[in-house]
Amino acid sequence: MTNTIKVKKVVVTLLIILIGLTMLLPILWMLIASFKVYETDVTTLHGLFGTSFTVDNFKKIVETSKIWRWTFNSFFIATVQSLVGILLASLAAFALSVIDFKGKKLVYFIILAGLMIPVEALVIPLFKIIIDLQWVNTYKGLILPGLAMPLAVIIFKQFYDSIPRELIEAASMDGASIYWVWYKIFLPLSGNTTSALLIFLFIQSWNNFLWPLLIGTDSSLMTLTVALPVFQSTFSTDVTMPMTANLFASVPAIIVFLIFQKQIVKGIAMTGIK
Amino acid sequence: MSTNRIKSSYNSWKAAFVFLFPFMLLYGFFTIYPLFNGFIMSFHTGRFGIGEEFVGLANYIKMFSDKHFYGALLNTLFFVAISTPLIVVFGLLFAVISNSRFKGANFVKIATFLPYVLSISVITSVWVYIFKPHIGLLNNVLMNIGLISEQIMWFDNSLFAWTTITVATLWWTIGFNMIILIAGLQDIPHSLYEASSIDGANRLQQFLFITLPSLSGVLKMVILLQVIASFKLFGQPWLMTGGGPGNSTTPMVQYIYETGFRDWNSGYASTLSYMLLFIMVIVAMIYNRLTKEKEV
Repeated sequence: MTNTIKVKKVVVTLLIILIGLTMLLPILWMLIASFKVYETDVTTLHGLFGTSFTVDNFKKIVETSKIWRWTFNSFFIATVQSLVGILLASLAAFALSVIDFKGKKLVYFIILAGLMIPVEALVIPLFKIIIDLQWVNTYKGLILPGLAMPLAVIIFKQFYDSIPRELIEAASMDGASIYWVWYKIFLPLSGNTTSALLIFLFIQSWNNFLWPLLIGTDSSLMTLTVALPVFQSTFSTDVTMPMTANLFASVPAIIVFLIFQKQIVKGIAMTGIK
Repeated sequence: MSTNRIKSSYNSWKAAFVFLFPFMLLYGFFTIYPLFNGFIMSFHTGRFGIGEEFVGLANYIKMFSDKHFYGALLNTLFFVAISTPLIVVFGLLFAVISNSRFKGANFVKIATFLPYVLSISVITSVWVYIFKPHIGLLNNVLMNIGLISEQIMWFDNSLFAWTTITVATLWWTIGFNMIILIAGLQDIPHSLYEASSIDGANRLQQFLFITLPSLSGVLKMVILLQVIASFKLFGQPWLMTGGGPGNSTTPMVQYIYETGFRDWNSGYASTLSYMLLFIMVIVAMIYNRLTKEKEV
């Protein structure tokens, strides 16, 4: 009996590892293909493992394209958007959770309604604003429209609602200002929520495609997501260079993933709260 | 909430204004204003402000007799119908595997989740090169092991093209849904499983009568998020198939994009955007209504 159970366990474990490897396969293929000599046939075992490895592709990409600039753009935009976006959301959520004021329900409803409005349905009028402001191919145009995120406000508000009101009373009796309450009580207490949300929004911004495609058309203002397909379209028979560009663009994301895995998981789980 | 022990300055208009102003300013300018302006634009012709002219309902009348609109709408609905069940089923499957106590469970979780952090350009590029005839991985592997004798033209046939889009999307987004579902699985009290195994329930019965009902709230949420995400489909066909062959994989957002930024017809593109928004809101409302009735 115990033997059959053991065999079963081994089979299931092998099956599970096989499933995991299958999911990883495209990434592993990208990884190996990136280190192959230009125009190597990377579709056979011999091509992948029997031929020499090189970092020439990376050198070539860095020399012939603006890939560092694109990486910087992606990083800069994602960092500003997630940091400032979090700050704005935290402030707004604090008002909605703590402060009593006329029209609060209306403001909350207007923000809640924003959850239903995807940017895809607004690109046309949004683009018109950017044209009128002459913000095409500027960082302002790339960053500002994505700063106010209703989802972040809702998540913060849910957390702030759970902070004991006694803390506010105590601060009030000590004569502290309401700004101090936000800065010294709510902000520090929401550290976990903030960091999880921050990473989540960073990844979202890093992966943005439609908006930068419209606004960052100048090659020095392109983000990686926009520039990669343009760069890759110049190779018709080679697979190694496109894969190198893919790997180059993925390394920062993979590093962020490995360091902040817990926060990312928490951030995603939070978006499922309703 | 406003007890006497809290300073009146805490609940002042001024304080609320200071905290809300930065968010509401940007939200008003970049979400509320375009929402209304888009509606106004949908009754005009013109190229983003140039030669704008009021045309009444002309854009809407045009839309209802535009076969490209119906084509793009059907493509979008097709994708919603295909991708949602697949992603939810696979998401649940991977969540159950990752949440199990078998060795390698955590490896599956990481491997499934990793693609989610890669950008859309990377995932579409990798899958294009997997499916690409002649130089791509899949065809050559299939030929080498003798399963096919000639190259399959994955991007020349609309059903095959949809397959490439769906596979890439699944690979990219299963991890996201898996994470939400794992959180849901971990909220189910262990005592439920223990009690049922004493009663002699097997694994399948436990899954059907404990896991699924306990997950219903989370599943409802995951399905809604997925339906909304699928309605917004753009990057995958844009980067993988270009909407082709023909227009057979062109979704609504791509048609809006092409109308607005290739034909520079901002009025008609606004009309199409409003239609998309309208349909999404209606679908979400119907969905909420349906799932609520089930709960009662």
